[in-house]
Formats: sequence, structure tokens, C-alpha cells
Amino acid sequence: MPMADYQLIIIGGGLSGLAAGIRAARFGKKTLILEQHALPGGLNSYYIRQGHLLETGLHAMTNCAAASDKHAPLNRLFRQLHLSRKQFVIHQQIASEIRFSGRSLLFSNEPALLEAEIFREFPASIDRFRQLKKEIAAFDPFAASPWRSARKFLAESLQQPRLEDMLLLPLMVYGNAEEHDMDLGQFVIMFRAIFEEGFFRPSGTMRDFLELLVRQYQGFGGELRYRASVAEIIADQGRIQGVRLANGEYLTAEAVLSTAGLPETIRLSGWDADRDDYSGRMSFMETISLLPPEHTAALSRDRTIIFYHAGPVLKYQRPDSYLDTSWGVICFPENFSGQPPADLSQIRVTNAASYPLWKALPPQEYGPMKQLWAAASVTASEEIIGNYKQSIVYQDSFTPLTIERFTRKAQGAVYGSAVKIRDGVTPWPNLFIAGTDQGYLGIVGAMLSGVTVVNRHLLR
Amino acid sequence: MTRDEIKDVILEIIEDIDEEADFDNLDAEAPLRDQLDLDSMDFLDIVMELRKRYKLQIPEEEYPQLATLASCVNYLEPKLKNV
Repeated sequence: MPMADYQLIIIGGGLSGLAAGIRAARFGKKTLILEQHALPGGLNSYYIRQGHLLETGLHAMTNCAAASDKHAPLNRLFRQLHLSRKQFVIHQQIASEIRFSGRSLLFSNEPALLEAEIFREFPASIDRFRQLKKEIAAFDPFAASPWRSARKFLAESLQQPRLEDMLLLPLMVYGNAEEHDMDLGQFVIMFRAIFEEGFFRPSGTMRDFLELLVRQYQGFGGELRYRASVAEIIADQGRIQGVRLANGEYLTAEAVLSTAGLPETIRLSGWDADRDDYSGRMSFMETISLLPPEHTAALSRDRTIIFYHAGPVLKYQRPDSYLDTSWGVICFPENFSGQPPADLSQIRVTNAASYPLWKALPPQEYGPMKQLWAAASVTASEEIIGNYKQSIVYQDSFTPLTIERFTRKAQGAVYGSAVKIRDGVTPWPNLFIAGTDQGYLGIVGAMLSGVTVVNRHLLR
Repeated sequence: MTRDEIKDVILEIIEDIDEEADFDNLDAEAPLRDQLDLDSMDFLDIVMELRKRYKLQIPEEEYPQLATLASCVNYLEPKLKNV
């Protein structure tokens, strides 16, 4: 057999692809990452408009941990990537809030705060909540087990529907591909990641963090090509032979790891599966507003992220309209402790959006519709934090279509398919899946996904 | 490589894997993983590092032989005698 061009080709230079690449290159595999976009990061990237660096995806990283806690997912990840955790400067959240009509719960990276808040807001439920925490501590979410309803578990253990919705909102909105309910194992992972470990940001911007990963990868000898769009994954005689790029170039590989998501991998490889079965329904629109810092201080009152809901029952689902502004996320990215002041501060508002409605718009209506819904999103957030529309100096939005175009996540489904392929295997012995559709979510989760799939299938 | 050199190589690999590694009071006869708080992913890195440095292929069923510092040295001594 002639030598392949690469031992491993990774489709996608997002966080799972970069982490996978670091692992493979670190142990001597000749590795190439192909990224269609001009920048790395995938779902967690950045772009520059009128001199402003705007981040996509990232509101905060989850799984905050002290460097000395060796078992913490963040530190396990850093050891796997051979990155110094000691030299990695982080800024912890100040405090976040779950705000429902007439109810509020604060939480921070100190789990005692959430418990005290539940005691204040739902005094009759505190014993049940403490019992719930014990059950979560004893639960092994990584043991292979069939899907179990987190909602049913919470309904039985808390018997307080409002509290159930309030706890679920941040966990769902930061990592649930399913509508209405989530798998109990995923709930436990997210509960630990957010309510027990908590939010932080790396020092600097997403660009700095991505550059750290790219440097590490290239330092181990890995190759990375931007604007290299994969058009086809080539199979022959039951094995993947390589990939063909959009420009016609053909590259051979001993193995291919796709982080483009299941529907896109199905399309590229000619895999005999229905793309629609693996297309997630949850997508979002986000509007980023830049304001003079003195204007946001009064609005945010030292909140890092506010998860709000203004309706009677939480509807975590693809909305019937372009956007559902009845619930959402308001993030103040400057409100992490110890961050240097910015010239302009941001308010980011995120709401569930309907991909099919956005997709069906004729081109001339897309721009005006985006403006209309960005304004609606800001107005809904003003109900929660107070007025700021008049102080906005710059604003930009992205929709499910933007997400699909830049990340290839089918239908802009940021959390991918509700059906995950946990072992990362495909019908071909040398094609693997990592990232969103392998199962772990968030930045730390995506990177651990790349690491575990390479460890399991490509390094042994 | 002598037994002492092999021991030093193992400790150096672990130190490279884990910047928090603390070898004070390390018992050569007790499991490394428990004492150093390593998980299975770190353990794989010891194997991978040995492969990278010395082209050693260690089959998965023989991983238990790397459990303690003393058993590592015993297991690796014949394999690294010409290194």
C-alpha cells in the first residue's frame, strides 16, 4: 500500500479538532487539520467588525477549578494537551442569576450561594434540594446507561415545578441538544460543570486562547490549513482513503476524524443514514451590543450572566416564530473578576431561533428581519436589566444561518443532534466523529471529546 | 539502561505529564496512580511517551505491569537493556 499523505486528517479547526490534533501530533502522528474558515475556533471563534473583536459562542467557560484539583475536567484536559495550568490565567465569574417572573436565584463558583438562594426563595424545598445534590454526587454520568428523563427525576425529587425549570434553564441552554427534556447523565454533567465548578474566562480574548491551542498543535509538528473546505470524504473497499477539497485537491489519509457534525459527515461520506434523524432542532440568534462602560455598570449590577424566563412554563424548544424572546440569556462578558477594563463593554443577548423560518426568507428580507428581531431581543432584555438601546454605539447579530454557514453545523444546531455517537465510530473502520455529536458539550467538553476519541481509536 | 536510569526516566515522564506531581514520600511498591492522583488518561500518556522515546510497543494487557514504580523498572529492564 502506498504511503498516505497523512496519518490523520481532522475535518474542522474548532475546539474538538484542535484538541484532537494536539493529542495526535504530540505522539508523532503526521496530522493535518482542515478548516474551511479563515480562523480557528468553529462554534467558539471571533470576528472583527469596525475594529471591534467580537466573540461567537463563548459566554464563559464552565468547569472552573483550582490548578491543584487534579481530577477536575479542566485540569485533566490541560494535562492531556500538555498545557501548563499554572500559567493559564483565569478570571472567575462575579455572580450569575436565574430570573423568572417574580423569582430569582443567584449562583457563583461557590456552590453554597445557590443553596442559600434556594433556601431564601424556596424554603420548603431546601431539604429536597440538599438530597438532590447528594444523589448528583453519587451519580456516574459516564457509565453507559439508557436515556433517562432529567425532568422526571427532578419532578420526583424536588416536587417544585418552578424550581425545576429554574435549575434546568442554564443547564439546558448551555448544552442540551434535545427539546423539552434532557438525559439525566447530561444533566448531572452540566449541573457539576455550572453549579458546582462554575463559570470563568481565560485571560484575554477567545483569539488568545485559540492561538495558544494552535501554537501547541504546530509546536508538536501538526499542520493546519485555513480556507480548506472539505467537499467529500472518499471511501473505497470499505475504508476511507482520504478527502477531496472544494478546490479539487485530493489528500490521502490513514484515518479521518470529522468534527463537522453528524449530518454534515453523513453528506460528505455518503454514509447510508438520514441526515434529518441527526439534525438538532435547537438553534439560537445572538445580538451583541457595544456600549460605553459607564452605561453597562448600572444595568448589570455585577451580574456575569442572567438566565431569564418571562412566561408561565419554560419552553425549551425550537420556537414557532423567528425568535422566542420569552426566555434567553443576557451576558456581560466584562463581568469576570480581575479583568482589565475595556474601552467599550458588551451586552450579549441570546434567544432560541427557528432555523426553517430564517432559511425560508428571500435574500432581500433577511437583513431587515434580522434587524427587527435584534431590536425585539434587546427590548425583551431591557425588561430584565433596564433600558440601554439609546446608548448602543455598535451592534451586530448572528442567526442560525450564520452559524450553519461558518461552522457547518446543520440547521445551525449549536448542540448538534439529540442522538449522540458516544464511541465516535462510524460504518468505516478509519472514520471517526468528535465534537458536538460525540456528546460532550461546551468548550471543555468539546476538547475532551477530541482527546478521548483520539486516545481510544488512534493512539493505541 | 540501568535500573536507576529507568526509574529516573519514569519519574521524568510523570513530571512532564503532570506539573503538580509530587514525589516526596513516593512508595516504589505502591500503585503510582493512587499516590500521584493520576487517572487512566494520564496513565496512557506514560505508555505513549515510552513508545515515542524508545519505540516500545506495550500491549494493553501488559499495562498492569506498570502499576508501581518497582514493577515498571522490572518490566522495562529487559526491554531497555540495549538503550
